[in-house]
Amino acid sequence: MSSKTMSKTRLDADSLARFEAELDALRLEVLEDIGERDARHIQRMRSIVQGSAIAGRGLLMFGIGPISWVAGVVGLALAKIMENMEIGHNVMHGQYDWMNDAALNSQTYEWDIVCDGDHWRHSHNVEHHDHTNVIGKDHDFGYGMLRLSEQQRWSPSCLLQPVWYLLLAMNFQWGVAVHDIKIGRFVKGRMKKAEFRERMRPFLRKAGRQLFKDYVLFPALAFWQWPRVLLGNLLANLIRNLWTNAIIFCGHFTENAQTYTTREVENETRGQWYLRQIHGSSNLEGSRFFHLLTGHLSHQIEHHLFPDLPAPRYAEMAPRVRDICARYGVHYNTGGFWKQYAGVLVRLVRHAFPNRVRVAVA
Amino acid sequence: MNTSAARDQYKVSPVRRFLRHPLLAPFNSTEAWDRLASVANPAWSLSEPRARVVRVVDEAPGVTSLWLKPNGRFNGFRAGQHVLLDLDIDGARHARCFTLSCAPRADGLLRLTIKRKDKGPVSTAAQQLQPGEVVRLGQAMGDFSPRNTHAKLLMISAGSGVTPMVSLLQDLLQDGAEREVTLLHCGRTAADLIFADELQQLALRMPKLRLHLHITEAAGRLDAEKIAQIVLDWTERETLLCGPDGFMQMVETMYAAAGLGEHLQSESFGRRAAPVDPDAAQHAVSHGNPEQVFTALAGQSLLEAAESAGLKPKFGCRRGICRTCQCRKRSGTVTNLLTGQVSGPGEELIQLCISTPQSAVELAL
Repeated sequence: MSSKTMSKTRLDADSLARFEAELDALRLEVLEDIGERDARHIQRMRSIVQGSAIAGRGLLMFGIGPISWVAGVVGLALAKIMENMEIGHNVMHGQYDWMNDAALNSQTYEWDIVCDGDHWRHSHNVEHHDHTNVIGKDHDFGYGMLRLSEQQRWSPSCLLQPVWYLLLAMNFQWGVAVHDIKIGRFVKGRMKKAEFRERMRPFLRKAGRQLFKDYVLFPALAFWQWPRVLLGNLLANLIRNLWTNAIIFCGHFTENAQTYTTREVENETRGQWYLRQIHGSSNLEGSRFFHLLTGHLSHQIEHHLFPDLPAPRYAEMAPRVRDICARYGVHYNTGGFWKQYAGVLVRLVRHAFPNRVRVAVA
Repeated sequence: MNTSAARDQYKVSPVRRFLRHPLLAPFNSTEAWDRLASVANPAWSLSEPRARVVRVVDEAPGVTSLWLKPNGRFNGFRAGQHVLLDLDIDGARHARCFTLSCAPRADGLLRLTIKRKDKGPVSTAAQQLQPGEVVRLGQAMGDFSPRNTHAKLLMISAGSGVTPMVSLLQDLLQDGAEREVTLLHCGRTAADLIFADELQQLALRMPKLRLHLHITEAAGRLDAEKIAQIVLDWTERETLLCGPDGFMQMVETMYAAAGLGEHLQSESFGRRAAPVDPDAAQHAVSHGNPEQVFTALAGQSLLEAAESAGLKPKFGCRRGICRTCQCRKRSGTVTNLLTGQVSGPGEELIQLCISTPQSAVELAL
C-alpha cells in the first residue's frame, strides 16, 4: 500500500534548510534567465492553437467526406487540449505575466472550457497549489467524489467508484467547472442559498456560452452540414476531457503520491512546503511533443515547486531537481504514462473497498 | 431627442456586433490574422498601429532620432503631440511616451527623438533599432500647443525638451509664420544642443522667429533672472515649457511668483520618480482616483499595510504562490520579500503579499 511502501521523508531542521535553499537558488537562477526564448515559445503555442482551431472548425463546417471530418475533429481536439493545458493553465498561473501582454495576463485570461476563469484561479491556484494533497483542504483530491486515500471515510457507494470515475473522465470539463461552487457544502446544508446562487452564476454564464458556441452557433454557421459540426465538437470535447483527466490524475493520484492532514501542515516552513509538493506529485516521461500535449504537467513535480515559472523550463530543471532529491533521500516519483496511469487505476479500485488494516490517524 | 441621436451615432450595426463577438474566436481574432499577415509583412495589422523604422540619425551624444513609416492604422497627429512606443525587450513588452519631433508631413513619416536614460529599457532599446525593424505604436496623444493664436509666443526648453518645440515651429511655418515667437533653448555644451542646425535653418525661413541658444557651460545656469534678462517682455507672452523636472519646476515657480501661472503650459516627460530610501521606517502608498494614501512600514508587505489601513484587496495564499493579490504598480520601487529582488521604478505587475516598498509607491488598487 502506498503509505507503507513509500513513506514521507523527514529531514532534520538543518538539512531541510539547505534543501530549501538549494531549491530557492534553482528558482532564482531560472527566473533571471527568463526572456525572449520563453516569449517566443508561448507565441508559437498561440499560433498553433489558433491555426488548428481555425483549420479544425473550418474542416468540420465546410469539409466534405469522412476524412475531412476526422481531420477536423483532430484539429479541434488538439486546439482545445493545447489551449487548455499549455496556454490556459500556464498563463493563469502567471507564468507569462512578466511579458506585460494583456492577452496573456493571469488575472484576466479566459479559456475555451466550461470552467469559469475566476473559479479556476481560486480552486486551482489558491486551494490546490497551496494545500496540495491536504485531505479536506485540497478539493482536487478525489474531486469530492472519489476515495483515493485511507484517510478518507469509506461508504458503500465507494464500491461504484470505478463507474463514477469513468463518468468523471468523460465529462471532465464539467467536473472542473463545478469544482469551486462547492455543491457538496450546499447539499449538506453548510452553505446559504444566497451564497450558492452567487457561486452558481459565473458557472452558468460560462457553461451557457460554451454550450451555445459548440452546439448551436458553429453548427448553425455550417447550414445543412450542422450534424457533422455538432458531432465533431462533441467528439473533440470528449477527447480533450479524457486526455486532460488522464494527465491530471497521473499528477497526484499515482500509487506513491502521499496525502497530508491539516494537522501535519500547520506552521510548515517553505522547505516543508517544497517537500510536500514533491511527495504529493508525480511525473510522466515522454517525448517533447508528449510534454507539450500535457501542458508540461508531465513535470508535475517541478510545476508544483515553481508554479509561476514558464512551463518549458520544467524539462530543463527536472534533472537538477531530481539530483537534489536524490542527495537528500527524497523519493522522486516518475515513470512512463501507462505505468503511472495503471497506478492511478489500481489506487482507484483499491480504495473502492474499505481499509484492510486500520491505520491509527494521528 | 438629442440623446437618442447621440446614441444612434455610436450604435454599431448588429451584423458588426455579431462579427466581433468573442464566441467566434479565433475566426474573428485580429491578432490571429495579424500573425498570419506578419509572415508577409510584419508592419501589416488589422487593428494595431505599427511602424517600420526607415532611418536612424544620431543628433547629439546620447540622443538619436528615429524616422518611422506608420501603417494605415495610425490616425495621424497634431504638432506637439506624443506617441507610445511599444517594444519587445527580451520577450517583455515595454512602452514609453516620446514626443514627435516633426510637424505632420506630406510623406506621412514620423520622427521620434530619444535621449538615452540610465536604466531606461525603452530608450536604450529604441536607440539600438535598425532600419527595417517594425515597432508597435499607440495613437497620438496630448494637447501641448499654443491656445491663444494671436498672442506673442515664448518657448522655453532644455535638453531633449526641444522636441515638441521643433514640431510646433515647423507647424507654424506651414501656417505662414505670422506669429512672433521666441525660442529659448538651453543645453550643457554646444554638442548637447539638439537640433541647433535645424533651428538655425528655421530661423532663416521664419523672420518673426527669434532664436536664443543658451549653453550653460559657457553662460552659466539658466535661472529665472537670466530668462527675464533674455526675454524682456516674458510677462506678456504665452509660454510653452518642456525640459527636465528641476528645470520645469524652476520656471513654474517663476511664473507662479509673478501670478502668471495661466500663461504657462508645461509638458513633462512622464512621472517624477520617487526617491528610493531603504532605511526609512515607513513609505507612503497612494492609490485610487481620487487619490488616497496609506503608509507601509519597512519590511511590511503591501497587502498587510493595505489591510491595516482598512482596505480589502483580493488575496489567496498570502505567500507568493497564487497571484490573486497581483496588482499594477504605477510607480515606485519595491522589494520582493521572497527573492530579495528590487524592482524598477516604473509600471509593472507586483504581488502585494510579497512586496514591500523602498520608496513612495503608487498602486492601481
